[in-house]
Amino acid sequence: MSHDAIVIGGGTNGLVAAHLLARAGKRVALIEQRADPFLAGEPGWIPPQLAAELGLPGLLWGRHADPWIAVALEGGGRLELFGDMAKSVEAIRRLSPADAAKWPEFCARMRVLAGVLEQLYVQPAPDVETRQLAELLRLGRLGLRVRRLGRQAMIDLLRILPMSVAELLDEWFEHDALKAAVGAAGVMHLRQGPRSGGTAFVMLHHHVGSPAGVFRPPLSNLGSLLKAASGVELHLGVAVERITVVRGAATGVTLADGRTLTAPLVVSSADPRRTLLGLLEPGWLEPEFARAVGNIKCRGVVAQVTWAVERAGAFDGLAVAPSLTALERAYDDVKYGRVSAEPWLETRWADGRLVAHVQYVPHTPADGAWDDPRRHALGDLVERRLLAHYPELRGVLKERDVETPRDLEARYGWTGGHAYHGELTLDQILFMRPIPGWSRYRTPVRGLYLCGSGAHPGGAIAGGAGRLAARQILEDAGR
Amino acid sequence: MATTWDAIVIGGGHNGLINAAYLARAGRRVLVLERRERVGGAAVTEEIFPGFKFSMFSYVVSLLRPEIIRDLDLPGHGLHILPLESTLTPMLNGDHLATWADHDQSRRELYRHSPRDAEAYDEYGRLMHHMAQAVKPILGMVPPDPTSLRPRDLMGMLRVGKHFRGLGGEQFHAMFKLMTMSSADFLDEWFETDVLKATKSASGIIGTFLGPRSPGTAYVLLHHYMGELDGVFRAWGFAKGGTGSVSEAIAAAARRLGAEVRTGAGVTRLIVQGGRATGVVLESGEEIRARTVVSSLDPRRTFLQLVEAKELPDEFVRDIGRFKFRGSSGKVNLALGALPDFTCMPGAGPHLRGAMSISPSMEYVERAYDDAKYGEFSRQPYMDIVIPSLIDPGMAPPGKHVMSIFVQYAPWNLNGGWTDAKREAFGDAVIDAIERFAPNIRSCILHWQVLTPADIERITGLSEGNIFQGELALHQLFFLRPAPGYARFRTPVRRYYQCGSGTHPGGGIMGASGRLAAMAVLEDGA
Amino acid sequence: MWRRWAGYMVASSYELIHDREYHAIRSSAGLLDVSPLYKYLVTGRDAARLLDRVVVRDVGASKVGQVLYTCWCDAEGKVIDDGTVSRLAEQTFRLTSADPNIRWLHLNATGLDVRVDEVSDSTAALALQGPNARAILQQLADTDLGGLKYFRLAGTKLRGIPVTVSRTGYTGDLGYEIWLDAAHALPLWDALIEAGTPFGIVPCGILALDMARIEAGLMLLEVDYVSAHRALVEGQKSSPYELNLGWAVKLEKESFVGRSALAAESARGPAWRFVGLEVDWDDLERLYAEVHLPPRLPTAAWRTSVPVYADGRQVGYATSGCWSPLLKKYIALAHLEAAYAAPGSRVAMEITVEHRRKQAAARVVPTPFFNPDRKRA
Repeated sequence: MSHDAIVIGGGTNGLVAAHLLARAGKRVALIEQRADPFLAGEPGWIPPQLAAELGLPGLLWGRHADPWIAVALEGGGRLELFGDMAKSVEAIRRLSPADAAKWPEFCARMRVLAGVLEQLYVQPAPDVETRQLAELLRLGRLGLRVRRLGRQAMIDLLRILPMSVAELLDEWFEHDALKAAVGAAGVMHLRQGPRSGGTAFVMLHHHVGSPAGVFRPPLSNLGSLLKAASGVELHLGVAVERITVVRGAATGVTLADGRTLTAPLVVSSADPRRTLLGLLEPGWLEPEFARAVGNIKCRGVVAQVTWAVERAGAFDGLAVAPSLTALERAYDDVKYGRVSAEPWLETRWADGRLVAHVQYVPHTPADGAWDDPRRHALGDLVERRLLAHYPELRGVLKERDVETPRDLEARYGWTGGHAYHGELTLDQILFMRPIPGWSRYRTPVRGLYLCGSGAHPGGAIAGGAGRLAARQILEDAGR
Repeated sequence: MATTWDAIVIGGGHNGLINAAYLARAGRRVLVLERRERVGGAAVTEEIFPGFKFSMFSYVVSLLRPEIIRDLDLPGHGLHILPLESTLTPMLNGDHLATWADHDQSRRELYRHSPRDAEAYDEYGRLMHHMAQAVKPILGMVPPDPTSLRPRDLMGMLRVGKHFRGLGGEQFHAMFKLMTMSSADFLDEWFETDVLKATKSASGIIGTFLGPRSPGTAYVLLHHYMGELDGVFRAWGFAKGGTGSVSEAIAAAARRLGAEVRTGAGVTRLIVQGGRATGVVLESGEEIRARTVVSSLDPRRTFLQLVEAKELPDEFVRDIGRFKFRGSSGKVNLALGALPDFTCMPGAGPHLRGAMSISPSMEYVERAYDDAKYGEFSRQPYMDIVIPSLIDPGMAPPGKHVMSIFVQYAPWNLNGGWTDAKREAFGDAVIDAIERFAPNIRSCILHWQVLTPADIERITGLSEGNIFQGELALHQLFFLRPAPGYARFRTPVRRYYQCGSGTHPGGGIMGASGRLAAMAVLEDGA
Repeated sequence: MWRRWAGYMVASSYELIHDREYHAIRSSAGLLDVSPLYKYLVTGRDAARLLDRVVVRDVGASKVGQVLYTCWCDAEGKVIDDGTVSRLAEQTFRLTSADPNIRWLHLNATGLDVRVDEVSDSTAALALQGPNARAILQQLADTDLGGLKYFRLAGTKLRGIPVTVSRTGYTGDLGYEIWLDAAHALPLWDALIEAGTPFGIVPCGILALDMARIEAGLMLLEVDYVSAHRALVEGQKSSPYELNLGWAVKLEKESFVGRSALAAESARGPAWRFVGLEVDWDDLERLYAEVHLPPRLPTAAWRTSVPVYADGRQVGYATSGCWSPLLKKYIALAHLEAAYAAPGSRVAMEITVEHRRKQAAARVVPTPFFNPDRKRA
C-alpha cells in the first residue's frame, strides 16, 4: 500500500478530511483534478470546532460584506441590509414602517431555528431508525435541547421547515424587495421557486453561521489556509479514473495519467453519483442501492459569470431580485428547460474578480445543447441586467467568463452542475443524505467513504461533511 | 322555553351528519342545523336541468371509511357505491394511456409505453400498499400535541414514533419521501413514461394550490392505494343516485338513531357564556341551547365568523387567520344529448364508463398550474371527467347523459375577481380543452353549468371554495390541522368542538373527522 | 377453458378433460405453447458479467450452446424468480423468466457495457415434450439433433423455419423447447402437429403441464414460492436454499446480488426446505373408509396452500400437489421446517374428507418423483 488514505477532490471538504486524517497519523494523498482549485472566499459556515481540530486556532475567519445585500428597487434606489440590526431597521423603515417593526422579531425567531440547525450540523445526522442506546440518548438530548427553546420555537420548527419561504415571508412582511432579499436564500442552488414547500428550510440552512438579520452564508478562508498547510501529499492537476476494489474492499485509485495509488481507505469528496456510479469500479453495488444513488437529485440551476474588473469598489452583494413573484417566474422558465428571462443575480467579490450568481439556468436547455453563442447570449443578458440596476458597474466589468451548469459539471466534476452535490430538498437532508440509510459517510464498499457536500450536512457548510466523515473513519478504524 | 339539546351540530355535510349519527348512537339528543334546504354540503345531488341529476360538487367516493359504512348501516339506508373501473388519458399525439380493472390488461397497456415501467408499476404498487398500510392508523388517530409535556401527548408522540420506527428502513424512508417530495420527483424515481407520471401526479394535486413539481404533493399519491386496504379493490366509485345519496343515507341513519336534522336553519353565532358554549343563534334570530356545540364548518367560519374574537386567544386567532384555503378547482356539469367521441379511442366503449383524465403530459399539468400561480384560470386545465349516467342510468333521461368535469386550476382569488364573463370564459376554456381530444363535445351539449371556486363558496359556504376545508399541505396536517394545540377536535371554547374536513385527517368524503370528533365529544362526557 | 399466464390467456386443455394430454407427455409427445415466458436477449462485452451479477450460477463458466437453470435473488438473498440462461454466442445470452425482469436487469447493468433487449413478444416458444419428441423433431429438422445433449441448444431449421432448439422443458421428460420468431410460430405449430400425428403428438394445455411438472419436482413462481419483489411480508420470501436450489448457488463467485446473505445462510443452514411428499395410500383409504367412501382423488393438480403437521403441530405447508396417474401416488411439493425435511421423515398432510379436516400420513421423498432415463439419455 502506497498510502494509508487517498482523498479524492481538493475542495474544502476534501482538504478538511485529508488534514484531519493526517493529524491522526495517517499518510494521506489528496488528488485534485484541477491544477489550481479555486478556493478563496468560499461561501460556507465553518463549524466552530474545526479551528482547534485542525490546529488553526485564531486563523480561520468567516465573514460577510456589509451591507450583506443590496437590492435594486423597481423605482430606483436600493434596499441595503446590514450586519447591524438598527441600520437594517432604518433602511427597511424607509420602504415599510410595518416591516421595519417586525424585522427584529423575525430575525430573532429565525436565528433560534438556525441555531437548531447548527447543532444538527456539527454532529452526524440523527439516526432515527436506531435501536442503539447511545444513539437514542443522543437523539433524546437533541430533542430536549429543542424543547428547551420553548413552545414557540418548537411550533416554528415543525411548522416552518416544510413551508415555502414565500408563505413564511408573506406572513411577516409586505415589501417585495425585502421579501426577495431574504427569500432568495430559500431557493439558492435549488430547482424550486420560493413558493415551493421546503424552501423555508433552505433559507434557514443559508442562515446558519450568520448573525441575526444576515441571510447569506459567510465567506471563509478555510480552503485557502488548508491548501497552503503541510501534512498532506497533494497531487494536483490529475484526475481519478477509477476507484479499485478487490473482494468488496477499496484498494486505491488509478489516475488519468495511468499511475496507481494504493490505500485501504479511499475518501471521496466528489459527489455521490460521480463517486459511486462513475469512479467506482462497476459491479459492487446492490441494484437498489445503485438506483437510490442514481435518483439523487442534483439538477444544477446556477450559472456563474466572472469578470475581471477595472477597479475595486463596493461591488459585493449586489442583487437583482425585485420580488418573490419575479423569482417564481424565473423558476418557471427552468421548469421547461429555458434560461430565466429575468434571472436572479447576486454578486460576490472574490480574488479581485466579480462573480455573479445567476439563477435559474438549465443544465441542459430544452432546445439544444450549450454552445458559445448561447453562453455569450447568457453573459450579455446578465451584464445588461446588472448594469441596468447598478450603473456604478458601467465601465468596470472587463473580460468575462460564463460557466453554465454544464460547464461547472465539466470543470469541477459536479454531477448535473450542482454545486452542493445534491439539492437541499427535505428528502435529501439529514438521515436522507446522500441516500436514505447511508448518512454515515460509509458506502457498501469497505474502506470507501464519502466526505463531500453530497453528504450531511451538505453544501454551504465549509468542511462540515469532511470533518464528520473523518471522525467516522477514525471511529470505524478504532473498532 | 325551548328544550336544551345534548348537542347541536352546525352544518349538515357528511362530517356533520356522521358526527351527529355517532353522538345519537351513543344516546345523545342531537340536532343538526343545515343552512341550505337540503343536507349534504358539498356532497349533494341536484336536478339542475329537468331530468338531469348531478353530483354537483364532489363527484366520486373513494375514501369513505368502511367502519362508518358498517357502523351506521349505510347500505341499509340506500347507499350503494358502484365501481369506477378505468382511467383513460388521451395524449396530444393521438395515442392514449389506459388503466383497467383487470391488472393484466393494464399491465399490457403500460408495457406498450414502456416495459420497464410496466414492471416498476407492480413494485411501486407494492410499496404504496405498504405506505397506505402505514398511514392508515395515523388517519384513525387523534393527533398528539408534540409541544405538550402532558403524559397523554407524550404517550401519543411515542406511539406515532414507535409506529413509524416499526416500518423498517425502506418503508420509513419512502414515507419520509412521500411526505416531502413533489409527486413529479417521486414518480421520476420510478417511471419514465411521461403520460403515466402526468396522470398519476394529477391525482396528487387535486384540491391543492400546488403543481406536480411542488414539494408536498407526493403524499396524495397514496390516496389511490388507501381504499384497497379496506377490501375495496377499486378505490374510486360513484354513489348510486349521485354523491347526494351518500349524505341522504347518513342523514337517514342519523335520524333512525334519533337525531333531528333541520334544514333551512343557518347558524349566525355561537352563544358563549363564561368561556363555555351553550347554544347557537339562527339567521332567524331563534336561539337554541345545547350542552355541546360541534361545528362541521371550515376553521375560518367555525372560529372567525361564529365566535367573537374576544372569546379566543390572540395566538389562536392569528393561527386560524393564516390557515390557508386558496380554492383552486372548479366544476363544469354538462347535460349531454349524445356521448363524446374521443379521437384516441373512438366509439362508446367501456372507457367512457371510467374516468377520463385530461393530463396528457407533465408539462401540460404544470403549465396549468403556472397560470393559476399568477391569478389566472388555466387556459388548458387539468380535468377529471366522468359520465355517471353510463353506470347509473337514473341520472339522466334515457339515451341522454350527464358529464361531470372537475377542473383545475381555477383560483378563488382570480385577478380582478370572478364575474359572469370570467365564468363564461372559464367554461369555454374547459370545453375547448376537451374538444382537442373529443372534437364532437360541443355538439353533444344540451345544457351546462359552470361552477367557479367563488360559486362553490357562495353555495356551500366553503371558505375560498376549498373543497377540503383548507389546504392539505404538510404544515396544515396532523397536529397542525387546523392550528397547533387544537388538532384534537377541541377548541379554546369549552364544549365547542370542530368536526369538519378542516381537522385531522381532513379532505375528501372520508368521514373520519366527523367520527373522531364524536369520540372526542363523548370522551369529554357530553 | 382459459387460464391466465403472464397476462396472456392460455388453454387449460384442448379437450374437455386433460387426461389424454397428460398421458401423451409421458407416452408419446405433447406440444405446448410456452410463449408467455418472458425472454430477454443480453448482449455485449459485459453480458456474462451482468448475468453473473444477477443469477446465482456461474454464467461465465458456461459454454456456448449450454443452458443453465438458475434462480436470482435480491440483496437479502431471497429468490426473485427462476428461469434459464442460454449462451447463444460468446457475448449473447437469452434469459427466460416467469415474471418481468427487464427493470431488474437494467438496475444491475449500471456501469456495464451490455445491452438488454426484451424479446418476449417477438420470440415464440413451443415445447415438444415426451418420449417421441426427438423422432418428431427429426422429421422436420435439416440437421441431426440426435446428439443434442440435455441442457444444450443448437440452431437449426425446421421445415425451413430458422429456430433454436434446446433440450429443456418443464415436464421432466425427454423434450425440447423451440425458440423462434413469433411470426413463424403458427406454421411451425401446424408442421409439428402434422409431422407428429403418426407419433401420437397431442396439443397440451396448462392442466396437463401442471401435473407433469409436479411429478418432475419443478416449482412454479406465484404457486410454490413468492417472488421477493412481490412478497408483502418477509415470511413470504424464500432463499434458494429453502427452495432446494442450494446446488445452484455458486458462492465462489466474487460478487452477485445477495451473495453475502447467502454465504451467511449457507454457513448456518436454511430454516426451511422444499421437498416432495408422498401421501400414504393406506392412511388415505382409512380416512375415507371412516365415512364409507373410497378415496377421492383430485382430477387435476391443485395450487392451494395446505398445512403439513408433525409432532402435533404445523411444521410446514404444501403448495401444489396432484394424483400421479402414472405413479399411482398422491404427491405434493411442500415447504417444511428443516428439521422435518430429511427424506423418509414422517409427516401428515391436511386433507378434507366430506367437509371435515383430517390428517393423512405422508413421507418426505426425494424429487423428482418421476425421473425417466430418457430425460438425459
